[in-house]
Amino acid sequence: MTNILEINQLSKSYGDKPILNAFTAQIAKPEMISLLGKSGQGKSTLLRILCRLEAQDQGGIQFHGRSYEEVDPKEWRKKICYVSQQSYMLPGSVEDNLRTVSQLHKTPFDMSFAKELMTSLDLDHMDWNKKSADLSGGEKQRVALVRSLLLRPEILLLDEVTASLDMQSKQAVEKLLQDWQEQEGATCVWITHDLEQAQRLSHRIWFIEGGSLLEDNDSHDFFENPRTESARNYLQLVPKEGRSSCPM
Amino acid sequence: MSYVALSFTLIFVMITMLVSMWQKLDLEKDIAIGTIRSAIQLLLVGYVLMFVFKSNHPIFILAILSVMVSVASWNAGKRGKGLRGIRWRIALSIGCTEVLMMALLLGLQIIEATPQYIIPISGMTIGNAMVVSGLYLNHMKREVESNKGEIETLLCLGASARQAIQDSLKRSVKSSMIPTIDGMKTVGLVQLPGMMTGMIVAGADPVEAVRYQILIVFAFTASAAITSIILSLVSYRLWFTKDLRMAPLRD
Repeated sequence: MTNILEINQLSKSYGDKPILNAFTAQIAKPEMISLLGKSGQGKSTLLRILCRLEAQDQGGIQFHGRSYEEVDPKEWRKKICYVSQQSYMLPGSVEDNLRTVSQLHKTPFDMSFAKELMTSLDLDHMDWNKKSADLSGGEKQRVALVRSLLLRPEILLLDEVTASLDMQSKQAVEKLLQDWQEQEGATCVWITHDLEQAQRLSHRIWFIEGGSLLEDNDSHDFFENPRTESARNYLQLVPKEGRSSCPM
Repeated sequence: MSYVALSFTLIFVMITMLVSMWQKLDLEKDIAIGTIRSAIQLLLVGYVLMFVFKSNHPIFILAILSVMVSVASWNAGKRGKGLRGIRWRIALSIGCTEVLMMALLLGLQIIEATPQYIIPISGMTIGNAMVVSGLYLNHMKREVESNKGEIETLLCLGASARQAIQDSLKRSVKSSMIPTIDGMKTVGLVQLPGMMTGMIVAGADPVEAVRYQILIVFAFTASAAITSIILSLVSYRLWFTKDLRMAPLRD
């Protein structure tokens, strides 16, 4: 069976500074993957390359057996969607933002689905006519997530999307993404510094250091018995009972 | 004006140089070069125009217009450093504007089809189109830099290059036209335009001079809009790579 996504020997440098170093991984079935590692190890760069917002220096990516070079970037991004840590609202109202996908692709706007997603993220009382610029940081982050989910991507690349959220909103996002993953059969690759969250939600862990994938492990195994010294050191930076904050 | 009278105008240059020396602006060399260049350029153009007017041959008119478009494109292209192929795109935009303007002016018999009308009016519209092109590129550079997140967000949602940059294009086209529109609103109240002043000084009837000035003001507005819109359409793809990422701009 063809893998959903194959990442082969991705390398990337900024000037003389290597960011990714022959990163190789596969996604065989829809699952939740947490991408862990200290800051500056190439996690965000990896996600941006997977969404083709940046180009790798070497290596390739295959989606359902088709090389990235064979697929139009627009079609690629409809299937593999990146949600950045800093949520950018587009000019106009909340509704304008939610309608972006249907306007871009000239498809009917699924109002009931949008409402359902907004309700899942505790945004059911939000005035859709409100200017997007007037939303709070947490509201922007959640609206941006709903906007991306309306694309119904097969792979969601999430870059610390809960970092700026309060506990209640964070839990709502986690619940929505878990349900989404199960119901839609989607895959989420999630950068987080919240180890408790990673442990709670992920099926798999990708542990990255120095731009290389040091561990690709079952989530339970990774937290109970990490294979590498680097992963053990990384986990020890945060005691088990306090694994809800950044290890840095 | 006699050459003796003309030489007295150097007093203005002397005043500027003295101010520069007094205030230690260090502009004396630039002022000297500017003075010599402008005097030689204008005198040469005077003789060339005299020859073209006498010969009244279309090939010379075309040659002069081509030089004007080329120089204007080269100059405005400096604002688009890092955008490969921007100069020929500016030339195309200004060229199209010029062709359209002349087609209307000559086709509707607003002006006579003689070099005396075609060359000065073309010079003014091409000059204005050059300024508008430079302004457009400046605004676009700023827009793309400050709205990178917004543009990438749209790309992430599967937008095409045009869709992702549409708002920035619109804002830049608008901004590049504002000085021309503002000029239109205040013309005659704040400043008496060069063409009108020149005609009046040369002895023309002021009302006749105003008529031509109105023609120029309206032509400026149209040329600003046409140049800016054509340039935005032919150049927007330069802000992206072939595989639809945002292109890094080299300074």
